[in-house]
Amino acid sequence: RVTSSDEKLPVIGATIKVKNATTGTTTDANGAFSITVNPTDVLVFSFVGYLSKEVPVGTQTNMSVVLQAEDNNLSEVVVTGYSSQRKKDLTGAVAVVSMDLLKSQPAASAVEALQGKATGVQIINDGAPGSTPQIRIRGTSTINNNEPLYVIDGVPFEGKLSWLNQNDIESMQVLKDASSASIYGSRANNGVVIITTKKGVAGAPRITFDSYYGTQSPRKSSFPEMMNPQQYAQYVFDGYTNAGKAIAAGRNYGSGPTPVLPEYLVAGSKLGQDVTAADADPSKYNYSRDPNLFYQITRANKQGTNWFDEITDAAPVQNYQLSATGGGENATYTFSGGYLNQKGTIKYTGFKRYNFRSNTTISAFNKHVRFGENAQYSYSEGYGFGVNPNTPGGYQDQGSALGWAYRIPTIIPVYDINGNFAGSRGSQLGNAENPLAFLYRAKDNLNKSNFFFGNAFAEADILPGLVFKTNFGLRYENFNGLSMRYPNLEFSEGNNSNNLNEYQGYNTEWTWTNTLNYSKVFNEKHRVNILAGTEAIKSRSRQLNAGRNDFFILGNQDYYYLSTGSSNISNNSFGSVGSLFSLFGKVDYSFNDRYLASITLRRDGSSNFGDANKYGFYPAASAAWRLSEEEFMKSVKWISDLKLRVGYGQTGNQRIPPYQYINRFQSSIINSAYAVGGANSLTTGVWQNAYQNADVKWESLKALNVGLDFTLLNGAFDGSVDWYSKKTSDMLYNLPLPSSTVGLGSSPFVNIGDMSNKGVEFNVAYHYGREAESPLKFDIGLNFSKNVNKIVRLAPGIFNQVYGNYRSLQTSVLQEGAPFGSFFGYKTAGIYQSAADIQNNPSYTGARVGGLRYQDINGDGVIDPKDRTIIGDPNPDFTLGLNLNVSYKNFDVSAFIYGVQGNDIFQATRYFTDFPSFDGAKSTRLLDAWSPSNTSSLTPSAYAGASDLEFASSSYYIQNGSFVRLKNLQIGYSIPTAKTFGSKVAINRFRVYVSATNLFTITKYTGMDPEVSQITDTFSAPGVDQGVYPTPRQFLIGINVGF
Amino acid sequence: CKKEFLTVQPQGELTESQLTTQDGVEGLLVGAYGLLNGNVNGTYGNYGAAPSQWLFGEVASDNAHKGSSVGDQPNMNAIEQHAPTSTNDNLANLWDRCFEGIQRCNNTLKILGNLQGGQGTVKFSDARAKEIQGEARLLRAHYYFFLVRVFKSVPYVTEATSGTFVPNDKDIYPNIVDDLTFAVANLSTTKPRNQKGRVDKYAAQAYLGKVYLYQKKYTEAYDLLNAVILAKPDLTTLPYSDNFDITKEGGPEAIMSVEHSVGTDGTGGDNGNVGDILNFPYGNTPINCCGFFQPTIDLANSFKVDANGLPLLDGSYRTNAYKSDFGLVGAAKDNYVLDKTLPLDPRIEATIGRRGVPYRDWGIMAGDTWIRDASNGGPFVAVKNTIESAQIASGTAPGTTNVTGLNVNLIRLADVYLMAAECAVENNNLPRALALVNAVRQRAAKITPQQVNGTPAAAYRVSQYTTFPTAAYARNAVRFERRLELAMEGHRFFDLVRWGIVKQTLESYFAFEGGFFDYLKGINIETRDDYFPLPQDQIDRSKGTLKQSPGY
Repeated sequence: RVTSSDEKLPVIGATIKVKNATTGTTTDANGAFSITVNPTDVLVFSFVGYLSKEVPVGTQTNMSVVLQAEDNNLSEVVVTGYSSQRKKDLTGAVAVVSMDLLKSQPAASAVEALQGKATGVQIINDGAPGSTPQIRIRGTSTINNNEPLYVIDGVPFEGKLSWLNQNDIESMQVLKDASSASIYGSRANNGVVIITTKKGVAGAPRITFDSYYGTQSPRKSSFPEMMNPQQYAQYVFDGYTNAGKAIAAGRNYGSGPTPVLPEYLVAGSKLGQDVTAADADPSKYNYSRDPNLFYQITRANKQGTNWFDEITDAAPVQNYQLSATGGGENATYTFSGGYLNQKGTIKYTGFKRYNFRSNTTISAFNKHVRFGENAQYSYSEGYGFGVNPNTPGGYQDQGSALGWAYRIPTIIPVYDINGNFAGSRGSQLGNAENPLAFLYRAKDNLNKSNFFFGNAFAEADILPGLVFKTNFGLRYENFNGLSMRYPNLEFSEGNNSNNLNEYQGYNTEWTWTNTLNYSKVFNEKHRVNILAGTEAIKSRSRQLNAGRNDFFILGNQDYYYLSTGSSNISNNSFGSVGSLFSLFGKVDYSFNDRYLASITLRRDGSSNFGDANKYGFYPAASAAWRLSEEEFMKSVKWISDLKLRVGYGQTGNQRIPPYQYINRFQSSIINSAYAVGGANSLTTGVWQNAYQNADVKWESLKALNVGLDFTLLNGAFDGSVDWYSKKTSDMLYNLPLPSSTVGLGSSPFVNIGDMSNKGVEFNVAYHYGREAESPLKFDIGLNFSKNVNKIVRLAPGIFNQVYGNYRSLQTSVLQEGAPFGSFFGYKTAGIYQSAADIQNNPSYTGARVGGLRYQDINGDGVIDPKDRTIIGDPNPDFTLGLNLNVSYKNFDVSAFIYGVQGNDIFQATRYFTDFPSFDGAKSTRLLDAWSPSNTSSLTPSAYAGASDLEFASSSYYIQNGSFVRLKNLQIGYSIPTAKTFGSKVAINRFRVYVSATNLFTITKYTGMDPEVSQITDTFSAPGVDQGVYPTPRQFLIGINVGF
Repeated sequence: CKKEFLTVQPQGELTESQLTTQDGVEGLLVGAYGLLNGNVNGTYGNYGAAPSQWLFGEVASDNAHKGSSVGDQPNMNAIEQHAPTSTNDNLANLWDRCFEGIQRCNNTLKILGNLQGGQGTVKFSDARAKEIQGEARLLRAHYYFFLVRVFKSVPYVTEATSGTFVPNDKDIYPNIVDDLTFAVANLSTTKPRNQKGRVDKYAAQAYLGKVYLYQKKYTEAYDLLNAVILAKPDLTTLPYSDNFDITKEGGPEAIMSVEHSVGTDGTGGDNGNVGDILNFPYGNTPINCCGFFQPTIDLANSFKVDANGLPLLDGSYRTNAYKSDFGLVGAAKDNYVLDKTLPLDPRIEATIGRRGVPYRDWGIMAGDTWIRDASNGGPFVAVKNTIESAQIASGTAPGTTNVTGLNVNLIRLADVYLMAAECAVENNNLPRALALVNAVRQRAAKITPQQVNGTPAAAYRVSQYTTFPTAAYARNAVRFERRLELAMEGHRFFDLVRWGIVKQTLESYFAFEGGFFDYLKGINIETRDDYFPLPQDQIDRSKGTLKQSPGY
């Protein structure tokens, strides 16, 4: 009988062979085997994941063999580019993420769980259910799209990963440096994440069931605090008083010297204090769709509405996963099905996913031919606001529910006297929409996706050591959705239009890869692996949108079909095609396990480039030296393994919109039509929408990596240190040409600009109790990543480019010598204390006592746009992760702390909450504003008619974004199954756990959440907080059961 | 792998060779017209490029305030106060849109040249080819004229220009004149292809006359303008209100207008009057967005007339200023009663919405509840760019009632009369000037008076001048008439510039209007203020070939 050293369970499907003979057998479901042998034979026991064991037969007729699990991380086999390697043979910078660590943190997206687990990988989470977090590998490597390439079971994938169930993942490797990633050539600039899904394990079916259920609660204490109505009214009055003006605060607060709050905000056409009892007679109330009949009566909420409170709520999350694995010697399978349902803590939002996966491997002809498939189908559904956007943070906007929550006055109640939504219609109540109404009306907006991703492969041993493999991968996504719009007459800028929009579309991509791999060990010292291959990729997408207005009844999902709308009939469709063809090769050589070298070459051809530059060429080389194998090191007993790595390589980037190399024209009813026939009879014409750059070519990145891997004290400590320097050159840059040359057509991408990233990464882990039969085992791991980004060069003659539009703000800049996405604006220099202060210092038109003073950067004595400068950096100085796993007998505890230090956040919402920009909610920060008796305050005083320069982009908006967060804490208990259920019951594993995420956050940031995902403007603008979906706190209970 | 595998065709786009056909050139020409409404697509955000030029032509002058609340579109405050910086988005908006229009004209001319040069299969007849050139060159002249009035120093790019970076170191008026001269010679008096939205010879003549007037070439200007006047019906027979009525637009008075289109075309209003999208009253009104573009107290008072029904040319109209219910509080505001005895030119009601007077068919203008923030924008609202309530269903974009289909007149016949009158004054033909001004006033006298409760809302009076005693008097009278007739139609600031009286006019106006609005107090006008700064992003993109206007 064969049992395992770790679980003391039978090893099913272990191979037993007679040494130097062809006879052999495998163990059955009980780990038992029988074989006829001679006493002089030696039996070799082997099984994946265990050390082989040789046992001389002798006189034994009953053998009990315990296989030792391979605990040594070094012999772990990791999947790298198109092949796999022993970890100890790696020469590049590859982060191997233990799935045990990932599983302890329940997350909708597998990527989300990578946070803080691998050095050099920065993840910024987003609280929206099902959303894809932002991932950056070793900083921002291009001004274009920075998302990495995923390779899932050998098939490249670009896009969001919310369809993939974390429980289906066997391992994840992050190829961080160019020497390891360059085998993926033109798509590898941002790093490559290799994901391998769980494969079948031979033996009787093993069934596992995992589930958790829990609740997510909004972290209410993090909400920004707004003034109550009385405070706000006083602020408005102060504004006029400070400006020396007669108070003209509308109809709400009376005409006396101090504000008096009204009973009603609106009753029909009467506003604020003008509303009489007769006006507020409920019998006049008419919530009509006809603006002429619409008669709303709304009481003022004198206590003030806490809008953040109103739009958030505790939300349940649940997850179920059932999987089965098994098989025999020649075929293994694994199958799983899962269901996730996560509601959002912002009301009326949520995400659901159903997924099925099947992986099969079959071998034939005495295992010389192997084929199989990996396939996943998933159906996901996001509903409501901000859910599952294609780009992280894509929902953020001043006109989103969160944007409105920052803007709507607190005196407005949620509902009017009859329970319909109240709003900003009234006297000087600003132009924000009721955020709860906005969310409620979006509750039936659905985005659905049917997603298939899988591959079929076959490989054959042609000669000893020579393997041919062909792999065909397919991605097919069919998506559709609908959104509706309702009359919003309670809103000051609302109207009675109503509408339905629907969309349908698909994305498809196939990848066909063929490789020949020759692997041989010569003279037991020369280990050689040679790989050559081709890869062809073709993608196509198409989408159809349609909409109509004016539905006879509203809000009835059974009625909403396009044909029932009666006006504004609209539709459009669009699509894209693309192709890539590549040749690649790789040679790995190691001598005596001591000297390792690897050379990679890849040539990519892309449809994104014209004839002049269709092909790109990506070489890389790396070498490693295992010092610990040298004789002179053998005597150093505390060093178990020590390896020095150096790698240099080149990767590319082709992720730009296609067809940049030709002039393109468009015939479009919205862009180029005119009523040449008069009145409303449009004729559609033609315009040039895009201008060519015939010479456009690949962006390339060259990177040097030096690293040291170490294992100390027989594996008690392990870790690595890496230093790298990457330089992106010929950066594809959408250089805006003068309008006199291109009008409003798009300027072509040009190869201009260089960017550099340099950094160090360090991780170390301590393992206790691995080897011995210790009841107490623990692992503690610390990782540290530091990256310094710099834009080395933009275009000749272009020093900087300002972008990141938010109302009249421009928040961010690309500037030579500065990090990507640096914040740009005026530097504040306190508050003007007196008229003399304005006289004696540089000032601007509209400068006033109590207003913001700025630094005169260029020293010309006036404050104007030339004084704008770099005012902050969204890139962190470093990030830290601390992982702790402890098990004692049947208990286990894991904890994960994540920290980010030294990044700035541009809190753009202050535009509304801290300045007299609009009537609306104002932050309680203003209660401590500058006044003649509070001269040390740095907050400008209230002032009606303040210059717009006061709320221009300035360091007033810049906040420290550093934080430390206990991301996850989990405590589990494994019930001793045999003892509890008896040995008759088939349950062999039963673990229960409780888990909490985001238990505490230490930060000075004044917004809702210091994890601020980027917004996308011309370029992505990291760290600009326009109102992020805050990450909630989660409490879960879960079980893992094995049969 | 084959090369074809890596060669893909653009999806839903056209290449140059596919356009080198008659249909291609006609399509490009329609595209060139398409920029007349000041946008490529979308609705909000096209303010600087609005064909009505309400921002640069009116808010920058003494006629209008930006309006709304102070924090909304703060960059527009800087235009009103003549303190713009080069990063003001409204400047970039005008610059970009006009150059897009110019590119479209250039592409039309270039591909027409290629087709006629034998690159395509079936050529145009020479007549249509010339006519297309005439249309495209008139449109190009229009876009350049919009630019040169605001920025003065503008790079000149044609279909023949090669190179990406073009300097702005030359006077481009001669180029504009060339294009318009070609258009006058090659367009006929019937509209091309009999389509009423296109430009004809009259548009070319009037435009060239206008450009000559800007160049102070009064004789050449007069001949062209007078030719248009003679060819068109007598102005006095054409109702004033037809110019601002969506059901009557495009009539004989519309010499060159922007055809705005809304309705069932499947767009959200992209081809409608998006430039004026903000310029409707606020609050409980049929179109309630967004409270911008409010007439000044100065403009309202300039409609006052003397006992003879003539305007108060000496500036005394500011005495005892009429300011509706502005500044009143409490009961005084609530109980405000319209003074119906005020002697006014009836054109005020077609120009300014004021409390107590019917506003189109929307009912009586209610005062502050129609206004976003009266303390910032004043007591008045704009009228000419709005439409009748009854026309909203058919005349606005579905779901966006503040995008209307109302055309904007770039040049209308009364404008031609008054430009010709200016030329006559400068050519010392005072009787002709008098006749032209009086024709405009005679027509104004035919306006139906507004009534409230059965009696006129003011003591309406407008009569004809008996004589222009001196050239100076005539000049002043013509200019004053131009303000009254064309107020809020995008001419005023540019008129002040070409008359060379920006400083004296605006400083006097700021002294008066600043008495009501603090933000206008004490603004000084410098020489630079005749023009606006070039957009900073364009200077940055130009690699040093574009030079900023002096003073900025």
